[in-house]
Amino acid sequence: MLHVALFGAGRIGAIHARNAAAHPALSLKYVVDPQGHAAARLAREVSAEVVAIDDALADPEVAGVIIASPTGSHLDQCLRAAASGNAIFCEKPIDLDLARARAAASALTGARLLLDFNRRFDPHFQALKRRLDAGAVGALETLNITSHDPAPPPVSYIAHSGGLFRDMTIHDFDTARWLLGEAPVEVFATASCLIDPAIGRAGDVDTAKVLLRTPSGKICLISNSRRSGYGYDQRIEAFGSAGAARVGNVTLSAVSTWTEVGAVADKFENFFIDRYADAYRLAMDHFAQVLEGAEPKVGLNEALAALALAEAAEQSSRIGAPVRL
Amino acid sequence: MKRAAPKVALLGAGRMGAIHGLNAARNPRLDLAYLIDPREDSAARLADELGCRRPTLAEALADPELVGVLIASPTDTHLEFVLTCLRANKAVFCEKPLDLELSRLRGAEPELISPTAPLYVAFNRRFDSHFLALKAKLASGEVGALESLNLISHDPAPPPPSFIPTSGGMFRDFTIHDFDVAAWLIEEEPVEVFAWASCLVDPAIGAAGDVDTARVVLRYPSGRMCTISNTRRSAYGYDQRAEAYGSRGMAMAGNPRISTVDTWNEAGALAAPLFASFQERYAQSYRAELDHFADVLAGATKPITAYVASRDALILAEAVGQSVRTGRIVRVNDI
Repeated sequence: MLHVALFGAGRIGAIHARNAAAHPALSLKYVVDPQGHAAARLAREVSAEVVAIDDALADPEVAGVIIASPTGSHLDQCLRAAASGNAIFCEKPIDLDLARARAAASALTGARLLLDFNRRFDPHFQALKRRLDAGAVGALETLNITSHDPAPPPVSYIAHSGGLFRDMTIHDFDTARWLLGEAPVEVFATASCLIDPAIGRAGDVDTAKVLLRTPSGKICLISNSRRSGYGYDQRIEAFGSAGAARVGNVTLSAVSTWTEVGAVADKFENFFIDRYADAYRLAMDHFAQVLEGAEPKVGLNEALAALALAEAAEQSSRIGAPVRL
Repeated sequence: MKRAAPKVALLGAGRMGAIHGLNAARNPRLDLAYLIDPREDSAARLADELGCRRPTLAEALADPELVGVLIASPTDTHLEFVLTCLRANKAVFCEKPLDLELSRLRGAEPELISPTAPLYVAFNRRFDSHFLALKAKLASGEVGALESLNLISHDPAPPPPSFIPTSGGMFRDFTIHDFDVAAWLIEEEPVEVFAWASCLVDPAIGAAGDVDTARVVLRYPSGRMCTISNTRRSAYGYDQRAEAYGSRGMAMAGNPRISTVDTWNEAGALAAPLFASFQERYAQSYRAELDHFADVLAGATKPITAYVASRDALILAEAVGQSVRTGRIVRVNDI
């Protein structure tokens, strides 16, 4: 059994804890969270022990840590886990500050770090990637990514989220990089606060359109909103020289109903916890492989590149001009 | 006694001329009497098919019974013919765009903004039943207040390279439709535009100084946004969609297909393909806009799009072209 420790017993921590606990090759030994109540409840559920972070890192039996703490702690905990020789599974984003993340890069270079960009592990997006790699639509030319949340987070979250681009679009930046197969060199973004004025007062935006451009002239369009009003809208369209491939939304059921008012399909999966449930499981499977010696498929380079795109997009929307990376 | 249908003439026997000519000939509310086109071969064939005579433009305009002219000549001749026909007090149905040169179009503004005879400029998508249904959904408030719009407009295959130099470029020739659809759906004038464009489809298009693939972002005073995806070659049919995001939901106009038949086999599920050309995809809209022109001739309505819509769409085309050239946001008021 490979023993792992979880840092952070919040919403996403609970997902990873359950997946780790259920994994046949993993044993979730510790839950670490300064909020004792949440830690105790989760530890009880997954039969783990609540300890302090130092104790977890000092245990020679622990081979890996799962970092699902608040974003501001990610980088520091990555560094501590790397220093104690643990493999790392880190929730996105690695940090909210690119300069700080880059400064820490040398200390993390040798670490076995899996960055949990969940979309890379989603079976639907993986199927798209396989089709593109197999040449099903010819040479990829453009990409349209639609990523609309069902409802905005509480304003208290917005204030320390790092802003829409670092918190939400970061997923789309990584997805774009992954699918384009070529690093974007230029970013343009325009954004507004259309949903909730309180988000604007917190200094953030809630609606955005982003363009990325690669050296060969490929263009990616990202459409973001913090509130769709109809569920979690997660689609990708890839346009190539010989056709297009599309990933649609996953619905709660395959049932459609026809009545006098029209045809009604079932609702979309409500939010990321549901829509990406498989992806979170598969990411944990991959972490078990990493613990057994595999190279992480997504790591530090991807974390830094997505964060660089987020910073560039924010800058672009602020200055009203494209930003070169 | 039943009144005779109003007598109209068709100017231009090309691809669009054939579409409008055939629709006019079959429309019981129009009497297509003349076809004007100096090209002997194609014009004679089409005139024969439509059962019209082939006078010169001057002869046709001299006919006091002639009340309207359908202009489907090459784009760079539209404006001149429009002015000639209006001066002869004939109602005009002009294929889009009204002109490729904004300065020239603006120069003709005094004659075009409140013309002596009705002027309709054919932005056919406003008559497409699918886009009309989308517009009605937005008006019904079912998706709340409109916040952003994503338009996808991909041609099946690029035009011949010989067409490119006279086309005015992709934004004036092709995206012009999307600019008008955006204006129609969002009902606000954009303040800023930004676009990136590439030549990815055919190097010959690039050699002719044009682009074939683009992403355009329009920004409105209210902070609302519209994106436009364009390519000259989809390889899978004519992809024409509009997604309208509102405060309470989203409405999407999808692609009609050549049939409703889906097929399942070992390879997967296969839906029937999209229409392969604008002629097929928008056949209904071309008929509907001639009905509109018949209404205009009957005095029952005013043209829904004319000089202002043409000018505004052309302003956006120029602004977007400038943005692509300079790599900057272009303020619409600066055009």
